[in-house]
Amino acid sequence: MALEEGDASGEDSFGSAARDYLGRGRTAAGRRMGVSEDQDNLMGWLFVAPNVFVFSTFLLGPVLFAFYVSFQEWSILRNAGEFIGIENYLTVLQPLPVTTNGLNLSVFTNPTENLFWYSLKNTFVYAIGTVPLQILGGLAVALMLDKRVRAKKAYRAAYFMPVMLSGAASAVMWRWFLSADGVINSFLRPIGLAHNWAGDPATALGGVMLMAVWGGIGSNMIFFLAGLQNIPEELYEAARIDGASRWHLFRHVTWPNLGNTNFFVIVMAVISAFQVFGIALVFSEGGPYYATTTTVLLIYQRAFDEGLMGEGAAMAFILFLIIFVFSYYQYRHQRSGEVEY
Amino acid sequence: MARSSYEYPGYERSGVGYWSKTALLYAVVTAGALWMTLPFWWTITTSLSANPQASEVTFIPAAVTLQNFVQLWERPDILLVRWFINTVIFAGAVTLFNLTFDSLAGYALAKLDFWGRDKLFLGFISTMMIPGMVTLIPVYLILVELNWTNTYQGLIAPLIAGPFGIFLLRQHFKSLPTSLGEAARIDGCNEFQTFYKIYLPLAKPALATLAIFTFMGAWNNFQWPLIIANENEMYTLPVALFAVRNQYFAEWGLMMAAALIIVAPVLVAFLAAQNYFIRGMSLSGMKG
Repeated sequence: MALEEGDASGEDSFGSAARDYLGRGRTAAGRRMGVSEDQDNLMGWLFVAPNVFVFSTFLLGPVLFAFYVSFQEWSILRNAGEFIGIENYLTVLQPLPVTTNGLNLSVFTNPTENLFWYSLKNTFVYAIGTVPLQILGGLAVALMLDKRVRAKKAYRAAYFMPVMLSGAASAVMWRWFLSADGVINSFLRPIGLAHNWAGDPATALGGVMLMAVWGGIGSNMIFFLAGLQNIPEELYEAARIDGASRWHLFRHVTWPNLGNTNFFVIVMAVISAFQVFGIALVFSEGGPYYATTTTVLLIYQRAFDEGLMGEGAAMAFILFLIIFVFSYYQYRHQRSGEVEY
Repeated sequence: MARSSYEYPGYERSGVGYWSKTALLYAVVTAGALWMTLPFWWTITTSLSANPQASEVTFIPAAVTLQNFVQLWERPDILLVRWFINTVIFAGAVTLFNLTFDSLAGYALAKLDFWGRDKLFLGFISTMMIPGMVTLIPVYLILVELNWTNTYQGLIAPLIAGPFGIFLLRQHFKSLPTSLGEAARIDGCNEFQTFYKIYLPLAKPALATLAIFTFMGAWNNFQWPLIIANENEMYTLPVALFAVRNQYFAEWGLMMAAALIIVAPVLVAFLAAQNYFIRGMSLSGMKG
């Protein structure tokens, strides 16, 4: 987003100067054809009207509506609510992990105490376990395929195949591979490591993460391949003339020049990791013993299985806040990093 | 594209060092590629065996049978054709609407000059930061009010426009020369004709990329159809797969056959038009 903003404003300062010269914000052609400024405005807004309508009805309006619902006790039957203040937020958040008597960290380890904090822990474990592997895996594959590998197109297709897959389909597949009598265990049994991976609360989330890494490397590979192609060859030439080693080339040419790609890839990966839902639901329905209950899965169960729309909306807003803080932090970090080069 | 890594002293393409490094590179890349593709092979072999045992499907199926596919066809609660048609209608309509609305908006934001244009574009792009799950509950409640649950319009409506399409098409229209439109206007085209007759045909590659991408996204979409369609007749394929999984849990042959039916069309399309998919993916990365 940072890049886009920069682009638009840079181009605009030139564009608006030209337009000022030609006459008050209108194109030369428009003026010549005797089109008035009002007609220009009308035309432009007519073209964007369908999108403005859809965005306000299904995106911006609903965000405000969700905020409203989170302060209501919502009745599914009447499809209307009753104002109850911050009660939904209190129900969701209590007992708090930090109290006046000190820390109460058992909310993160005991699902019966407060499922929201427990689901948040699951979501963080999932994010911390998958995002770095998806990104570093994608980068590693991109670096290897960027070299002179024969049959590059076939390799690229192989790595991209899991990206094509519906999350529901891949969850069903991996549930079978990781089940007690599944394919993975037929490899592990000879070395004595066979285990009911999907059925054990200690390993079920690991199974979901394995599946997510498998499905996430391909798209990051494509982003990095595109990023690598945008690095001018002269930079490498210059560094080599200065006697840079392979590692130095990567550290001081490739890595800094992937700055924008890194930012985008990290933000997108984290945002989608915090929203993991479908694969966890289809893989194990949040079980066994809440081991794969992620926050969005909990929102889904509260709102659509139990009909507690207000609580669901409150949880959604808390998660939204976490995602927003993270994106903003990354954005600031990215901005300060740009000075280096 | 051609990296001249080997074209200066120290990086010659010869010697034990070079060849062992190359061998290692291929070993790693191939092992990774196997990890990516073997699950697809296991899905195929499992779907082709009657009563799958893991040892029988690992590499080559022991006895090939189409029994699972026949079962999918014959069980009365599995409405395969209906689900397939639902998914085609859903994904097709979503794609069509996105192409129409996003090309109109993308064109206006690139080529027309109107009040608030750049702020509007920034606004569209910023919505990419709104996590989908925040709008899930309110959009559902709105559609309940409209009585649109378990209808095609309910499935389709919330997905008919998106910031990615607007961004992609705006960039494409921006790259086309403005003089084309000026010439068309002098020849008497109005704004809409200029868009429809002059610029739109030139945007075909971008439209194809967006179409493939949107169709695939809707085809695979699980979250929204799960919430809005909860009657058997209105399921789309991914939601149906979840329902089948709950009904026939542990009948793995049947489930892999069902998974394959969802995956196959997308995979065939991908292998046929790989470049469009890759291009769409890398363009979606450039929003950053």
